[in-house]
Amino acid sequence: MAVFAELRRRNVLKVALLYAIASWLLLLLVGATAEALGLPVWTETFVLLLLTIGFPVALIFAWTYEITPGGLKKAIDVEQTQSIVYKTGQKLNAAVAVLLVLGVLAVLGQGLLPTFEFLVPGIPEGDPPAAPEAPQEIRSLTLDNGLKIIVWPDHDIPNVVLYNYVRAGSRNEYPGITGLAHFFEHMMFQSTSTLEPGEFDRIMEAAGGSANAGTSKDITVYQNWFPKSALEIIVKLEADRLQNLFLDADTIESERGVIISERRSGVDDDNFSRLFEQVYATAYIAHPYQYPIIGWPSDIEAWTEADLVNYFGTYYAPNNCTMVFTGDVTPEEIFELAEEYLAGIPAQEPPPPVRTVEPRQEGVRRITIETAAQTPLLHLAFHAGRAIDKETLPLTLLLDILAGGDSSRLHRLLVEEQQAVISVDGWYEAGLDPGLVYFYLTLPPGGEVASVEEAVLVELQRVIDDGVTAAELAKAQNRRLANYWRGLATINGKAEALGDHELLHGSYEKLFEQPAAVEAISVEDLRNAAAVVFQRSNMTVGVLQAPAAETGP
Amino acid sequence: MNVVRSQLAALALLCCSPAIFAQAVTLPDFERIELDNGTVLLLLEKHDVPLIGVEAVVRGGAVSDPEGLSGLSSLLARLLEKGAGDRDSAAFAEAVAAVGGRLAAAGDLEAFTISGEFMSRDSALMVELLADMLQRPALDSDEMDKLRDRSINSIRAAKDSDLRALLPMYGAAFLFGEHPYGNPVFGSEESLARISHQDVLAYYADHVGADRLIIAVAGDFDTVAMVAQLSAAFSDWRQAEAGSAAVLPPAEQSGRRVLLVDKPGAAQTYFWLANIGVAADYPARAELDIATTLFGGRFTSMLNTALRVESGLTYGARAVLIEPSQPGSVAIYSFTNTESTTEAIDMAIGVLQQLHAAGVTGESLQSAKNYILGHFPPELETAGKLARELSFLERMGLDVAYINDYGAAISAATIETVAMTISDVYPLADNLVFVLLGDAAQIRDDIAKYGPVTEIAISEPRFRP
Repeated sequence: MAVFAELRRRNVLKVALLYAIASWLLLLLVGATAEALGLPVWTETFVLLLLTIGFPVALIFAWTYEITPGGLKKAIDVEQTQSIVYKTGQKLNAAVAVLLVLGVLAVLGQGLLPTFEFLVPGIPEGDPPAAPEAPQEIRSLTLDNGLKIIVWPDHDIPNVVLYNYVRAGSRNEYPGITGLAHFFEHMMFQSTSTLEPGEFDRIMEAAGGSANAGTSKDITVYQNWFPKSALEIIVKLEADRLQNLFLDADTIESERGVIISERRSGVDDDNFSRLFEQVYATAYIAHPYQYPIIGWPSDIEAWTEADLVNYFGTYYAPNNCTMVFTGDVTPEEIFELAEEYLAGIPAQEPPPPVRTVEPRQEGVRRITIETAAQTPLLHLAFHAGRAIDKETLPLTLLLDILAGGDSSRLHRLLVEEQQAVISVDGWYEAGLDPGLVYFYLTLPPGGEVASVEEAVLVELQRVIDDGVTAAELAKAQNRRLANYWRGLATINGKAEALGDHELLHGSYEKLFEQPAAVEAISVEDLRNAAAVVFQRSNMTVGVLQAPAAETGP
Repeated sequence: MNVVRSQLAALALLCCSPAIFAQAVTLPDFERIELDNGTVLLLLEKHDVPLIGVEAVVRGGAVSDPEGLSGLSSLLARLLEKGAGDRDSAAFAEAVAAVGGRLAAAGDLEAFTISGEFMSRDSALMVELLADMLQRPALDSDEMDKLRDRSINSIRAAKDSDLRALLPMYGAAFLFGEHPYGNPVFGSEESLARISHQDVLAYYADHVGADRLIIAVAGDFDTVAMVAQLSAAFSDWRQAEAGSAAVLPPAEQSGRRVLLVDKPGAAQTYFWLANIGVAADYPARAELDIATTLFGGRFTSMLNTALRVESGLTYGARAVLIEPSQPGSVAIYSFTNTESTTEAIDMAIGVLQQLHAAGVTGESLQSAKNYILGHFPPELETAGKLARELSFLERMGLDVAYINDYGAAISAATIETVAMTISDVYPLADNLVFVLLGDAAQIRDDIAKYGPVTEIAISEPRFRP
């Protein structure tokens, strides 16, 4: 009894009570703020352990020492009459009461009252665009795991577009796995460890959305179009397949068949695609742009599960992806969903760079396909630059002057005046690595490919010698500007344009520099670009036509 | 793991109350003005980007092509670009391109259309070019010869290309036979070769005029100013000289028959299984769209699930409905490697039987409703799309309720009304017209089981056998 009375007198019991309540409050505080402060998950356990160890220490301290007006003294050294333990006890009582009230309030108010809100960082606001000409409602944010998110709100229709860009294309392939980037694009719609095969699409479509994807030589893009009401579920679906993809052997086999069918209708039964594939394979002798995106048939037949697993581990990491949201959303709600569903996906080692640089071409290359064809095809390809090169925009305008539409030089000459071809078109795929400026012409039955080739080359030389007219340049600039606006008329076009510039041109802000950049181009820029690119030694020629009739001995 | 899955599924069903979308999608206000000569102007302002979309529709189209001259209407339409007003062919193309505009004419089954898009600052030029094309086309004889020859060669080129594009032409020709819906819109090598300059002039006088014209404009302009420009440009135009051709409903097909289009060496067989479908004003359109969505209108449709997702037989299988002013076609459309031809076709027929036998479930009905309503707003997102929609409604004599009540009609559809529509529109497996394009030597014997086979070589200069 005497011991108990002494414990009371020395305030040991009150200290015990105060210690317990304070510990409880501290744990509440840690629990509420650990996540927001980015503390590791074991923080709470660790704090509890420290507090438990501290408990006996505090009790022994309270027993041993006493607070006196002269400072801290050993309790046995303090004269009973001098003791102020009673006053200390009252202070302790008050402290217990205050902490208790705080604790009860915290419990009652959890989720309702902003108890610790001042300590919790809010949802990040993201950064506005750096370029002054860009719409200032755009926001971008890079999560800690490296995933960059760009949001462009547009409330015109109650729909949203989500594009997830993965930095993986056929340029990341090598013999044996050609077409794997595209095959992987198919596999991303199959099963995950949480979803059976087919469930991704069923959930997506039941929520009113639809999805597709595309693979290019540089990137793979996953496209989701959906009503605003489906936003959370679509983000969950994207997050799920990024972290839980499950590659099942049956699905791999079935999807292999789908791709063989895709290849047969899109390439093997299509003369244009057959020639296009072989011109690329001829124009590039070292760089992986030589591989067809869909893959060579023997590789399609031979990919293994291990190839796919390896590929997923290498390329499908948040730090290798960029997500673009456009449409009826706010940056806040997107960044909140991102924190919840995407921030937890671990970053990975960045994929190895593509090292090979295509050596300079030093003479004309020719490829011929002899096959059943009523209408001969002629393709001409020239090595050019990357998306970020300053020559790319002038070259794009020049290509439009030469082969863009019914008023273009080659159309007027070859289709309308000479009637030597049925159609002539041009395209320039400027990507991460130097691409090809490409002309493709379809000749009427019996058409003379050699003379058409010569006629095209004469026209190209004419640009090098005499340049283009100011009116032609103005036309190309206007067409480019109108296309720019057309692209931004839909939320889909906006997502495409943002992603294209972010991935291939260095930053999404570059998109908005385009009108001024187009205006700034001169006739001389076009002529210089032509002089560099349109050299015979830099050309690959592809011809597809019926075999010449056999002649007798 | 299952928890996540059921949460996802629950969220999918919970968050998609159709009422949300149904309210959101209505046609914005627009102006409709009919000029004294019969031309109808439709105007809808939309100012999000500095562009104007225009859709000028001249009623007539391939169904008004004279006997044996398929492709005449389409050829004439494209000839309008080859010189008009004071501009020759080159100057006309230059005028459009110089301002970054687009203006192109194309033929269609029951109309030809001139579609354009210009920067808003160029609206006066847009009206001028449009008026010149329609009222003052050069219709030059040399230009016509060039265009006709090029059209013929383009068909030959198409036969060397992705064959998916050609199948519907053979399909329409075989399904509709001599009915005008069987006319190939673009013409055939044979019919185009028969068209003379005189035929083109006669067609222009007979079938092109103010009373056939609808002009829909949408985008960044001022309605009062645009009405003034268009009225000034079109009020004095003459009417077409001949009456418009009345199209009668085509006869429903019973039994089976097969057209085999032989392309030696083709890697795949492309197939189209069809019968007569419905017209644009079909009253149960909402139910039909739900049925088609579930049967062959989206990735998880019954057809695509069976032929692609579960069996890997094809890259895609779908249902395609063409809905003109009279009943058009309802078709299953897919392709597969030559060696799996009958396996894939049998499977497609099986899915059709399943559609009739099993109908739809409550879950699939709700999913289809959400899908349709979720995809509807983007259909009306741009000026060009709005112009196209307005002209379509006018041409088909449909009210704005066609758009504005669609959401409510989708929401109101029931398992029973959808089932009734399926049996009303989708043919039974015993009543199918088969069109197969592939390597006949490889598949000829196997496909004989589907019915009497008619064969045509792809090199033949026509689509009708």
